[in-house]
Amino acid sequence: MMKIEDRLSLLNYKIDKSYAHITVNPSICETCPDHFCTFACPAKCYTLIDEKLNFKYEDCVECGTCDTACSHGSVAWTNTKGGHGVKYKFG
Amino acid sequence: MSEFDVIVVGAGPAGASAAIRLASNKVNVLLVDRADPPGSKNVSGGVLWGDSLGQVIPDWEKSNMLERYVEAKGVTFLTKDSKISIDFRSKKFGEYKSGYTVLRTKFDAWLAKKAKDAGAMVASGVTVDKIAMKDGKAIGVEQAGETITSDAVILAEGANSRIAYDSGLKKKPTDEKIALGVKEVIKLPEKTITERFNLTSPKMGFASEYVLGFLDGGVKAGGFLYTNKESISIGAVISMGDLRKNNQTYSFNVIEQFKDHPFIAPLIQDGRVEEYSAHLVPEGGMSVDSVYGNGYMIAGDTAGFTFSNGLVLQGMNYAIVSGIVAADSFMEKKGKGSDMNFANYGENLAKTFVMKDMKNFSGIDRVTWSETIHNTIPAIAEDAMLNIFSEDGNPKKHLSQIVLSSALKHKDKRKDLAVDLYRMIRRL
Amino acid sequence: MIEMALEIIVMIKQVPDSSEVVIDPVTFTLNRGAARNVINPADENAVEQALRIKDKNPDTHITVITMGPPFAESALLDCMARGVDRGILVTDRAFAGADTYPTGLTLAATITKIGKFDIIFAGEESTDSSTGHVGPGVAEFLGIEQASYTSNSWVEDGKVYAERQLEDGVETVRMEPPCLITVLTNSNIPRNATLRMKIDAMKRGIETWTLNDIGLKPEWVGLKGSPTIVKSMKSIQEKKREGKKFTPDQMDDFVNELVSKGILKLGGE
Repeated sequence: MMKIEDRLSLLNYKIDKSYAHITVNPSICETCPDHFCTFACPAKCYTLIDEKLNFKYEDCVECGTCDTACSHGSVAWTNTKGGHGVKYKFG
Repeated sequence: MSEFDVIVVGAGPAGASAAIRLASNKVNVLLVDRADPPGSKNVSGGVLWGDSLGQVIPDWEKSNMLERYVEAKGVTFLTKDSKISIDFRSKKFGEYKSGYTVLRTKFDAWLAKKAKDAGAMVASGVTVDKIAMKDGKAIGVEQAGETITSDAVILAEGANSRIAYDSGLKKKPTDEKIALGVKEVIKLPEKTITERFNLTSPKMGFASEYVLGFLDGGVKAGGFLYTNKESISIGAVISMGDLRKNNQTYSFNVIEQFKDHPFIAPLIQDGRVEEYSAHLVPEGGMSVDSVYGNGYMIAGDTAGFTFSNGLVLQGMNYAIVSGIVAADSFMEKKGKGSDMNFANYGENLAKTFVMKDMKNFSGIDRVTWSETIHNTIPAIAEDAMLNIFSEDGNPKKHLSQIVLSSALKHKDKRKDLAVDLYRMIRRL
Repeated sequence: MIEMALEIIVMIKQVPDSSEVVIDPVTFTLNRGAARNVINPADENAVEQALRIKDKNPDTHITVITMGPPFAESALLDCMARGVDRGILVTDRAFAGADTYPTGLTLAATITKIGKFDIIFAGEESTDSSTGHVGPGVAEFLGIEQASYTSNSWVEDGKVYAERQLEDGVETVRMEPPCLITVLTNSNIPRNATLRMKIDAMKRGIETWTLNDIGLKPEWVGLKGSPTIVKSMKSIQEKKREGKKFTPDQMDDFVNELVSKGILKLGGE
């Protein structure tokens, strides 16, 4: 089974250092009973470290899954700007 | 006086087709895409069915942007140990149009180029924030606090429809209205692909849909495998609701389970993964209350124009047709001093196979994501096939007896089976 | 003393996206064919630096120039969509095969043709050749002062100031215009183009100049004008290295291993 990290490393991103297009509300995530985002996100942007939710936007492939997955209203999702974000070669 | 006649948001098959149609008819059109180059955030399974594109690019089939022509179509049920499939091949796929496999980054950039060549202005790498509304009418688009005005807006931003949500034109999807597509592009030599899939030439391709009835934790997903010139597109379309219910399977591992299946692994053997991608797939038909309003029309995935019945998975052809119809609906109104309320788009669309399919197959998702399709049928079929194709020294039974006794083994599911079979027959 | 209405020229280059240039696993050669073109990253920073000076001195006029094939137009339009006033593409078949010497000469001739300028900006180096020659070369051809490796620059009382990132610290230099500044990659965060400005840039379009326009002889440019000749190229086979894993509770074994290999010497003597 190919590790997700190895698969993500194949992707080209133009990372926006000045703008995170997704933000989460840590106080909501703290009391979250399911952390479904950690299973749903296909780019493993959501992980649990010492039972605390950790989110990074840099690996995001902009699918929008987490916005539907999170049923607790923690995810604030916007489009990347200025051509930043994932840049597929094949699509 | 607006700056543009039409602003088209999103350079996928829907938006680009609309822009080509409009620009070819001397309409002053702006096509905006948030990716640079346009299309480089677009993903799809990868078969463009039908010949709708011919309406805007007559010689499209000569393009080297197409990968392979589908001469072999498969539908396959996979259980943990078995594979039950239909492998349909026909010389009549010359006269009956099937489809071409495409890789969207290349294909969509080419479509945007066609729009530019036809006279459209193409702005890429810039993200529209909202549709600009005034007195209930769309008057253009908002970007970085500025309004760019147009007589009409065609919104074709795809399944993850941020502008539609933020402009109040679409509700965010529930689990039933969306599935998660996860895909890999696996590099293999052209010759290997042609030989491995028994294709008649390097221009010919294979496309198959799968029911993945063997996934860990009972997660439901459909699989697909399409041959490109020198690569294979393989992926899984995962039910969001089932993934949530399960809540211990990682979406990104579902496709690996599919790849590792004993009857799939040999097909991609020695291939190198070149790209991983993920994208939402609209489910369950139309996803907006209305596809039009005063000054705007909604096309493609944003409107929920995709179709899947387990046998085929379609979207790009619907996108193209809806884009073209939107363009034509604008031209019907242009210069006639009439209002820009595009009820005619709704009416024109209703005459096409897009809306007819949406209507005729509404509710099909209840069948395609059912226990019957994903578990019961594959299990019964596996039992039955093992009976038919094995020899245990006993006299042969009649086929009907075999199927019946297999079905009886799974009798807990019989009621569902009957209901789902009824639904299926009614809709297919 | 210069007026606050500055004339700035930025030199850019379109390069294959370095994250898409892949090494062929069989031949170990670089495969650039698959890569799409982008503005050289350091040049994006140079454009941003020029725009920041314009932000403070609104009368500033910025021209961006590039020597390249016709499709480099998109790179110029992209800069114009961020706020650059004018874009000039210098393109000619005669330029093909140029090394850094005739490239510098061609750009210097282009700048001479443009006429008045106060500051020239360039990226420190390009990702596809990494020589860092062209910026300083242009300054030499034009006979003007230059500051390389800069992370920031500004104009104050008619003087140009630049911060140079050196190995042991930051050096701030003061120059008289006209001068040339090369800008380090990642020294700032380039701004996004807006849709309004994209539309405006596409409406304005770029200017295209050829060899004739800049008054150079064909034998001075391109391959003919290049003193560099590549004799041969070979890829280096990486040396196989041995690895061994230790867990934290095997620290003693780890230290012993290092000592036995002569990598680590235990003190005490």
